[in-house]
Amino acid sequence: MEKKVREPGEPVVQFALLDDILNLARANSLWPMTFGLACCAIEMMAAGASRFDLDRIGAGVFRPSPRQSDVMIVAGTIAKKMEPVIKMLWDQMPNPKWCIAMGNCAISGGPFEYEEQYAIVPGAHLIVPVDIVIPGCPPRPEALVQALLALEDKITGGEDRNLLRRFKRVSEA
Amino acid sequence: MKLKEIEKVLVEKFPDAPLSRDETGMSGAQWSIAVALSGIREAAKAFDKAGFFLESITALDFEDTFELVYHFNYYEPKSRVVVRMLCGHDEVPQSICDIYRGAVWLEREVHEFFGIKFSGNADMRMLLLPEDADYHPLRKNFGKVSAYHKREVIYG
Amino acid sequence: MAEQDITQETSRVYSLNLGPQHPSTHGVLRILLDLDGEYIVKADPVIGYGHRGHEKMGENRPYKQFLPNSSRMDYLSGMIFNHGFVLAVEKLVGIEVPERAKYIRVIASELNRISSHLLWFGTYVMDLGGFTPFLYAFDDREQILDILDSVSGSRLTYSYCRFGGVCRDVDSRFIDMTRAFLKRMETRWADYDNLVTKNIIFIHRTRDVGIIDRELCRQYGVTGPNLRACGVSFDVRRSEPYEVYDRLDFEVPTGSKGDALDRYDVRFKEMQQSCRIIDQALDQLPGGAFVAEKVPQKLKPPKGDVYTAFESARGLSAYYMVSDGSPGPYRCHIRVPSFGNLNALNDVLPGTMVADAISILGSIDVVIPEIDR
Repeated sequence: MEKKVREPGEPVVQFALLDDILNLARANSLWPMTFGLACCAIEMMAAGASRFDLDRIGAGVFRPSPRQSDVMIVAGTIAKKMEPVIKMLWDQMPNPKWCIAMGNCAISGGPFEYEEQYAIVPGAHLIVPVDIVIPGCPPRPEALVQALLALEDKITGGEDRNLLRRFKRVSEA
Repeated sequence: MKLKEIEKVLVEKFPDAPLSRDETGMSGAQWSIAVALSGIREAAKAFDKAGFFLESITALDFEDTFELVYHFNYYEPKSRVVVRMLCGHDEVPQSICDIYRGAVWLEREVHEFFGIKFSGNADMRMLLLPEDADYHPLRKNFGKVSAYHKREVIYG
Repeated sequence: MAEQDITQETSRVYSLNLGPQHPSTHGVLRILLDLDGEYIVKADPVIGYGHRGHEKMGENRPYKQFLPNSSRMDYLSGMIFNHGFVLAVEKLVGIEVPERAKYIRVIASELNRISSHLLWFGTYVMDLGGFTPFLYAFDDREQILDILDSVSGSRLTYSYCRFGGVCRDVDSRFIDMTRAFLKRMETRWADYDNLVTKNIIFIHRTRDVGIIDRELCRQYGVTGPNLRACGVSFDVRRSEPYEVYDRLDFEVPTGSKGDALDRYDVRFKEMQQSCRIIDQALDQLPGGAFVAEKVPQKLKPPKGDVYTAFESARGLSAYYMVSDGSPGPYRCHIRVPSFGNLNALNDVLPGTMVADAISILGSIDVVIPEIDR
């Protein structure tokens, strides 16, 4: 009988169906932290406003405190002065937590990255573990909605395990 | 008109300071005056008395010298005045932060980007750069630089 | 007895850190507050958490490659900053802009000004605790973003104004959408009045709060609606008219006291005046080319400096560029209004309560990445 190797970070005790239900609950009520750094913050606010309502996918409750939030959406350029602050905020968030890097600046420095740039950190992945990236400068609010739905898929394990997946991708027939 | 007033006052205070007119309006002002390193406080006091506000302080890095450029403006149409001051790489200009309180931050910014110290400004901490930064980014011997000229190459 | 003295001494002033991550600091601002109970004794803003090195980037690239940077400094008035940069380079090189392009740029800039003030309005009232106007303001703002998106391709950070004109012409769809927007806003002003301006809680939280008087404005170089709220009628569109502002008829609203309520009033009236400007510009919009005919790919500007001031949503902004004859600037300095506006808080905040500090910070309308460049 082959011994199943446990992934690092995977809990020792696994509950199967209860896990699925817990993941479903977590995915459908992701509470983001208000962490807008630059221009992408405005598109994040627009995504939370009345036209591209984030509340309908459960993520409309933006918590100012990291201790009450699940998801850190790094929206904007990360200056070198801001790096220890992001690390501190990430450490303050309780598990389970996820990170979305929104915008080109949070992915790779964006339009500000050139050789011998002295002022920015080229990418949020250098500071915190990033789960979902949203390219764009700035990305449209619909892209942020898509990213949160993709994060839901990541948390619940996709359509194979998600009992209540509410949307179908366009490519599925 | 405030502009004529201040011109008279400055010409009186600095009789041998070159005053160049700008007919085209390229520099944003009708005329600009070049003062010596020790003259900026007198000039700033004159502007303060006339009711001008300090729009910006910036610096230019040339191979042979720094040049500090002060822009003063008034709340009337077309009332901007440019005051230029040459300052060597090792010289220390005087601060005008007790005349214009807004100059504290403006001089802090010039200091951290160029390394120019201002005597009389007690607060010379970093403003935009991290507190422990020991580099001066806008110097032309830092980072990626496309050109480094002497002053006469640009201004003749 | 010695222990009692120590505790009484040290418990007098308490240091509190406001930011850099805070729901209402409009970007990443940190203010070190020294508090005596609820009252602020000393306020020291710490900035630089959004410093991206725009001025150094400007020195290292040709003028055309700086266009994306120009919008991203003050991203709420991105079109206005883009417009100002293009004006500066055109002045330096000497490019003539056709009339139609001037009118289109003015219309786009004024639409941007309205969208910036709407966002300020929504977030300011949200900071004070009222969440509903935020949704209304963003709804109106989405109409403007749709209009500008249809013609420039971008919702927030535009590179629509190019050297010599604009990059695409406006069509009848743009004009129809703009006129529909202006018609829609005519009824919305009354809605906002009833929802916010006459609201007793809002009035209590903004009347006589954060008075920035004329002398303080002059000391710190405060411009824009903050200056106009204390009675000084100073607007770059009137004092150094650029593009076609001298042909358009509009008022420059002013306040009297310089408190937060006056600043709110001034911005509200400015939005209405911007609608008036757009209406007239649409009426006067001529036909013709939307971009100058011969704009050289590689610019060869003369040596010297250029300083172009323009009125962004926050106040007097300017580009100061020094050219050495090469295709890129030798020095590219941007004068931003929020620098002086935030600096004034050093003198305004002491003596106020923490809750009032939030109200004051919201009412001066700063965008921190603009200060940090």
